[in-house]
Amino acid sequence: MHGHQGLKFTAHSRSIAGKKIAFSLYYHFFDDDDGISGEEQGRGSCPFDQRKTSDKACDKEKQKNGEEKMSPLIAIEASDLSMKDKSVAFPKGYPKMPMYQPSSRREVDSSQVLDLETAVKDGVLGGGGGGVITTAAFASDKLDLKIMIEELESMDVPTVFICPISLEPMHDPVTLCTGQTYERSNILKWFSLGHCTCPTTMQELWDDSVTPNKTLQQLIYSWFSQKYLAMKKRSEDVQGRVKEILENLKKIKGQARVQALKELRQVVQAHGSAKKTVVENGGIGLISSLLGPFTTHAVGSEVIGVLVSLNLDLNSKSDLLQPAKMSLIVDILNEGSIETKINCTRLIGMLMEGTDFASENIASLSLLVGLLRLVKDKKHPNGVLVGLSLLETICSHESVRSSFVNVGAVPQLVELIPGLTNECLELVLHVLELLSSTPEGRLALKDCPNTIPNIVKLLMKASENCTQLALSILWAICKFAPEECASLAVDAGVAAKLLLVIQSGCNPMLKQRSAELLKLCSLNYTTTIFISKCKLTRTIQ
Amino acid sequence: MVEQLGFVALVKLVEVSEEHSNDFLNFDLRAFCVGRLSKNRQHTEADTEENAQTAEIERRIEQETKAEKHIQKLLLLGAGESGKSTIFKQIKLLFQTGFDEAELKSYVSVIDANIYQTIKILYDGSKEFAQNDVDSSKYVLSSENQVIGEKLSEIGSRLDYPRLDKELAEEIGNLWKDSAIQETYARGNELQVPDCTHYFMESLQRLSDANYVPTKEDVLYARVRTTGVVEIQFSPVGENKKSGEVYRLFDVGGQRNERRKWIHLFEGVTAVIFCAAINEYDQTLFEDEQKNRMMETKELFDWVLKQPCFEKTSFMLFLNKFDIFEKKVLNVPLNVCEWFKDYQPVSTGKQEIEHAYEFIKKKFEELYFQSTAPDRVDRVFKVYRTTALDQKVVKKTFKLVDETLRRRNLFEAGLL
Repeated sequence: MHGHQGLKFTAHSRSIAGKKIAFSLYYHFFDDDDGISGEEQGRGSCPFDQRKTSDKACDKEKQKNGEEKMSPLIAIEASDLSMKDKSVAFPKGYPKMPMYQPSSRREVDSSQVLDLETAVKDGVLGGGGGGVITTAAFASDKLDLKIMIEELESMDVPTVFICPISLEPMHDPVTLCTGQTYERSNILKWFSLGHCTCPTTMQELWDDSVTPNKTLQQLIYSWFSQKYLAMKKRSEDVQGRVKEILENLKKIKGQARVQALKELRQVVQAHGSAKKTVVENGGIGLISSLLGPFTTHAVGSEVIGVLVSLNLDLNSKSDLLQPAKMSLIVDILNEGSIETKINCTRLIGMLMEGTDFASENIASLSLLVGLLRLVKDKKHPNGVLVGLSLLETICSHESVRSSFVNVGAVPQLVELIPGLTNECLELVLHVLELLSSTPEGRLALKDCPNTIPNIVKLLMKASENCTQLALSILWAICKFAPEECASLAVDAGVAAKLLLVIQSGCNPMLKQRSAELLKLCSLNYTTTIFISKCKLTRTIQ
Repeated sequence: MVEQLGFVALVKLVEVSEEHSNDFLNFDLRAFCVGRLSKNRQHTEADTEENAQTAEIERRIEQETKAEKHIQKLLLLGAGESGKSTIFKQIKLLFQTGFDEAELKSYVSVIDANIYQTIKILYDGSKEFAQNDVDSSKYVLSSENQVIGEKLSEIGSRLDYPRLDKELAEEIGNLWKDSAIQETYARGNELQVPDCTHYFMESLQRLSDANYVPTKEDVLYARVRTTGVVEIQFSPVGENKKSGEVYRLFDVGGQRNERRKWIHLFEGVTAVIFCAAINEYDQTLFEDEQKNRMMETKELFDWVLKQPCFEKTSFMLFLNKFDIFEKKVLNVPLNVCEWFKDYQPVSTGKQEIEHAYEFIKKKFEELYFQSTAPDRVDRVFKVYRTTALDQKVVKKTFKLVDETLRRRNLFEAGLL
């Protein structure tokens, strides 16, 4: 046999061929090629920490090799072997522990043993490129494994690092006699429950000792440090970039300003840490100040895009609620692309919550008209939802309602009803209900021919809330103009629906309201005609 | 069948029909053949020069029609003295070659006229107040000034004005400084005192110089009642020095009798720039001293909005003369104007000015939506605060107007 071949940790190939070679050569390694008898090697001490190894552990290494669980870390280059060696890939005797002989390092071939840090650096275990690791000593207590694991939660951890019991990365991996590795606390807990088997292989344990797997532990630590430091660096990069952009914005104008804002928006949307940086460096005030009476649409829409991703404090909100800035936001809403429209709507919603604003100032006619236009755009359903939410918020203030009716909101909203999702239906109905509390609203509802048919259809259809709101609206109209509306309602089939409500499991208030409405509608009819109008089935009759 | 006959056959047919005019071919058929032949003759005979000319003219017409399609028509509308012509002059200064020396000099007579007219109005006004007002003594001039006043009043009523010289300038200056005139000026809103009064009166020495050439600012302040229609064509130069948009701006007279000429301009308008001077809520019309100017503007705006040809036209509302408004609104409450009668002041100083401005803006907005049919709600409507005399403001405002119109174009072309 040839002299001891140095191990080479290569940027390992995950191919099947690579693994096959790895397996076959692993066996080769344990061959008796050092002139030391197999038994001696087998019973030698572990070269690293001088503890006695047991025969059987070594024996079971062989079994372990047959499974896919072997660390793919060790891949020996095929070129290191001659054909002759390959033929004795599978040892006849015990597999031997590799004896690490430092002196052989200085042999001819260019293979070298890499230290752990460098090995992990090239992403041997996969998991994407890392950055450059700054000097981190092995047992550095600066980087606590627990903290790192926590912060790197979203990363894909290699399966070999995961404890099969808890499916969490291992802090203190230990290996059983079957060769399986577990987290120490978990496997001890398993034992304490009285089991004497290996959880994954279900084999009876012939030896209940647990061997710490230092190699794996060091690997895990390195890997996490690596990823952690890379992440920190990336985040610092992002923070640095954000600071740079904010500095720039103080100076540049025109097209360059638009570009800088675009970049800021992308960075803020992609990285959470960027948001913090912007806030900490007075970013909100800076970009809010870019909104003025002469702000172009291009700049304004980008500023709004950034602001909407940040948490605005009360001061910033009050600043943005100034009439001049608000009318700019409304103008941009009216002119912008659908994305801009949605951003503006969301921003206004953000500004309205938690501030005690005078709604007359916020809800200008242009805003209301713009929102109506937004919700009518069926091609963009997310716009419809956002727009309706804001309208609901605005209409909760009494003073706005009559102006809203005056811009023709009612017929447009009524037309909108068929084809909305349930979520949107509730919003629309709520808005209409709020509008029906004003005299102009009631008049507009009555005058619109589709009101009653569309709303009657919604009874008992989408949700209990919808039914309640629909009922409320119908009640308001019918009370307002009973002669006209009652007959229209009955023609639209309201009676059958109301009976359904009364008989359903809805809350009693609803039932009572339905009964009242039913009575109201039936006032002008004789019983027989009314019943026929109800189109009831015989059983209900 | 006749259509398919070749040239030769046609000729034969005509010859034959001419020989036997009444009985061979009927009249119509013959006329058809002759017509056909004459057309052939046009192409065959050497009338090529004529044809070449016609072709050239036709091609040029086609080119110009194509070019016209890209020209965006902008109309400056508004009541009298709302600032339309000042905006017009500003655009000329910003995007064209501005005023050359000859043009600047042509304004000397205008400025002189302004001065004479103004001082006459003030003098006559002081006499009127002295007669009718309870507190008449404060409108009585000193005796020397009265003499000057009479002289200037006479000059001001002439058709031709003398060039302003040092002597006249001094006399006018003295009259202007008289307390009676100042008191009259304080009640200038009841008279037809133009807005340029203070500016010119304070510069009399400079204006009366023998070699006086008006500055750009002087030209902007100079007041001439526009009559008829004036137009310029320009292209706003963007950051990267190319814009592609060509605008044609039309300026009109704002007084009532001028408005009947507006209708001829209303076709194919891209945008209407409606100027409303927000400082004139306490003034009356030049052409009708019983009518409040703001109410007139309100009705005019309403009328313009409802015009059928403006269905798809963008509306840019310039709330103009903000500089004068700023000074006035803290002293003269808005409710003197009937339209603003529900105004409630909330604070003082700058905040109050802003609040008053927002109130007026809201009123115009309400008016816009009231006067706009639901199917027209999609047209662009934007409000701008302007001071037409300030070139920077006008430049920035126009940049925004340009951006809006360009976005509108993209939107209509389906590219947005």
